[in-house]
Amino acid sequence: MTQTSAPARRAKSGPPLRNEKSKQRRAEARTGYAFLLPWLLGFIVLTAGPMISSLYLSFTNYNLFEAPKWIGFDNYANLFQDDRFIQSVKVTLTYVVFGTPTKLLAALAIAMLLNSKRRGQGFYRSAFYVPSLIGASVSIAIVWKAMFGDAGPVDQILSFFGIGIGGWVGNPNMTMPMMILLTVWQFGAPMIIFLAGLKQVPAELYEAAEMDGAGWAKKFTSITLPMLSPVIFFNLLMETIHAFQIFASAFIISNGSGGPAGSTMFYTLYLYLRGFGDFRMGYASAMAWLLLIAIGIITLIFFKTSNNWVHYSGDEK
Amino acid sequence: MISRRNFITTIATGVAATALLSACGKSGSEAGGGTAENPTVVNYTWWGNDDRAERTNKAIALFNEKNPTIKVVGTFSDWAGYWQKRATEAAGGGLPDVMQWDLSYLRDYAQRNQLLDLSEAGIDLSGFEKTLLPSGKVNDKQFGIPTSTNAFAVYYDPAKLKEIGVAEPTGKWTYAEYQQFLTDAGTKSNGKYYGSTDFTGIWWQFNIWLRQNKITDFTPEGKLGFAKADLAKWWNLNADLRGTPAIIPSDKITQLLPKSPFGSNKTVSEPTWDNFMAGYIGDSGVAELKMVAVPSDDPENLGLFLKPSMLMVASAKTKNKDASTKFIDFMVNSPEVGEIFKTSRGVPASKQQREGTTFEGVDAQVVAYEESIADYLSDAPEPPIVGFGTLESEFLRIQEELNYGKVTVDQAVDQWFTSAEDVIKQNA
Repeated sequence: MTQTSAPARRAKSGPPLRNEKSKQRRAEARTGYAFLLPWLLGFIVLTAGPMISSLYLSFTNYNLFEAPKWIGFDNYANLFQDDRFIQSVKVTLTYVVFGTPTKLLAALAIAMLLNSKRRGQGFYRSAFYVPSLIGASVSIAIVWKAMFGDAGPVDQILSFFGIGIGGWVGNPNMTMPMMILLTVWQFGAPMIIFLAGLKQVPAELYEAAEMDGAGWAKKFTSITLPMLSPVIFFNLLMETIHAFQIFASAFIISNGSGGPAGSTMFYTLYLYLRGFGDFRMGYASAMAWLLLIAIGIITLIFFKTSNNWVHYSGDEK
Repeated sequence: MISRRNFITTIATGVAATALLSACGKSGSEAGGGTAENPTVVNYTWWGNDDRAERTNKAIALFNEKNPTIKVVGTFSDWAGYWQKRATEAAGGGLPDVMQWDLSYLRDYAQRNQLLDLSEAGIDLSGFEKTLLPSGKVNDKQFGIPTSTNAFAVYYDPAKLKEIGVAEPTGKWTYAEYQQFLTDAGTKSNGKYYGSTDFTGIWWQFNIWLRQNKITDFTPEGKLGFAKADLAKWWNLNADLRGTPAIIPSDKITQLLPKSPFGSNKTVSEPTWDNFMAGYIGDSGVAELKMVAVPSDDPENLGLFLKPSMLMVASAKTKNKDASTKFIDFMVNSPEVGEIFKTSRGVPASKQQREGTTFEGVDAQVVAYEESIADYLSDAPEPPIVGFGTLESEFLRIQEELNYGKVTVDQAVDQWFTSAEDVIKQNA
């Protein structure tokens, strides 16, 4: 699409050269496509193809062994009568609603600390980013499980202060706070982006505000937040989408069961258990498409409401 | 110069040629009977821990040495990953030639034409009990050959019982006596030990209880043979014990995974299969464990049975049928294989293998237990219905919610029946 409009616009400038130029341009386009080809092939074969086939499978009863049987919207209809599905939606929404803002707050707070000029700031920035480098890995989920187990470090520290709640891992009421802490701890990626955003805020704005007698809180709400709003928007969007897709840590901490008592039965974990545990690929595909649609709708809502609170430089608002 | 069309054609030709070449290569190496220089390759896969891996590799090496024209190549994984891999392989048409198998999944794969009928494959079945073979049969075809048998038992640790002053059980007991034993163990140890895990959460113990009450688990038509009231009665059996020291709470169990509470020295007893003995001793480090029969309110009917602890099966699509069945025959019948595995797979099912193996120590205990209950055994179970794996894990999961106090017994029973009926409908 872009390649048709570009020659048309440029062609106006010099009629005599048109033939030669367009020839050259076509050759360029071909080269461009040739370079694109590996990526394009990968996209079609590894992403678009499976997506389309999963859309088809979501309307079938497919157990991996026998040919899929077309059942229309049955999978989608059955989802809403499935207690464990509803449980997985509740668990995931709780995680997204509480985990994402907490993580962003932590990231912003630490980014602001690291934005001030201090000796050894480079070291601190790297040090704070380390948890995010290893955070998504399998090993850290295993460490987390040990830390929050019975008589683990967390239990011991809390007991020292007289809060004896025992291990978090086996307690259905404590697994969600534990999972949220795990994601908050991986604040590094949004923190780096916040840090970059903070560097873009012109220092003269703060100087002017100080002259007018604005305090710390006023400067934060009237300058930092509005100037940072595009970055906040970006981080909020990415982290929300990311949070919906939590899988590995839940899988490891619950031994792939979603337990205790269904408290870590996240959406993707239930999808996986349905597909590969119960061999109900059609059902699992329907779940995958429903998640895609839900994330799509939430993204759309974010974009629609963003006009009211996201300020881009040069805008009239 | 490469034009777009040329480029794509070139790539496509290249891809097609590679596929063609690899296809040729495959058929080239697999065709023919196999010679010492170019042996027939048989892929074998099993689940298990390092101990079983070591023993299995020994058995494979022995087979390869005796059969120079065949080369068995083995791979293994843990239990949970094992079935996910088989499902994806079956979907792609690439199951390994020979596989270690479990009763729970036999019907799923056999009915879907994934397994080879071994009835006429030349495997010597003369040494197998006639009551055991039906558990490898689906629709009258022998798809699985049992390697060994196991029976259900109640384990206990005599040293811990002595420590807390509770008498050892005799194995001739009612459910009330069993519960009293668990309560005594839990209260007399002052919080050091619990009695056991909640035995009503174990599908197979429920199955035994059904047999004791002359109720079938599944009808021949693949429907449930018991009613909601039966399951409610079973789960209510321990209603008063949950939350007391008799039964270890679920949150403790969760944190001990992948070890069991019994293997972690948190309980004094555990009901499970008799071939887990060596594993428990290894996990807990205790000197000795003992086993007795499960409780029954009818002393003449213990509901016990010998189950194939595992089976050997071959893929329906194997290209090396003769070599594969030869390997299965070796694994189930050879006394030398018996010497390698002892009772770690269960007590050898074939008479030749069993009598050719010497059992000592722990292994002798397992064999003695199965002999001690021989008079009470009923028929081995037939392969359960398609989707049984799901039902079994749902049983455990819902019972866990019950233990956490998240649901009442009636709600738990409703939940399990809903998912069971769903599974049966799906696979009908």
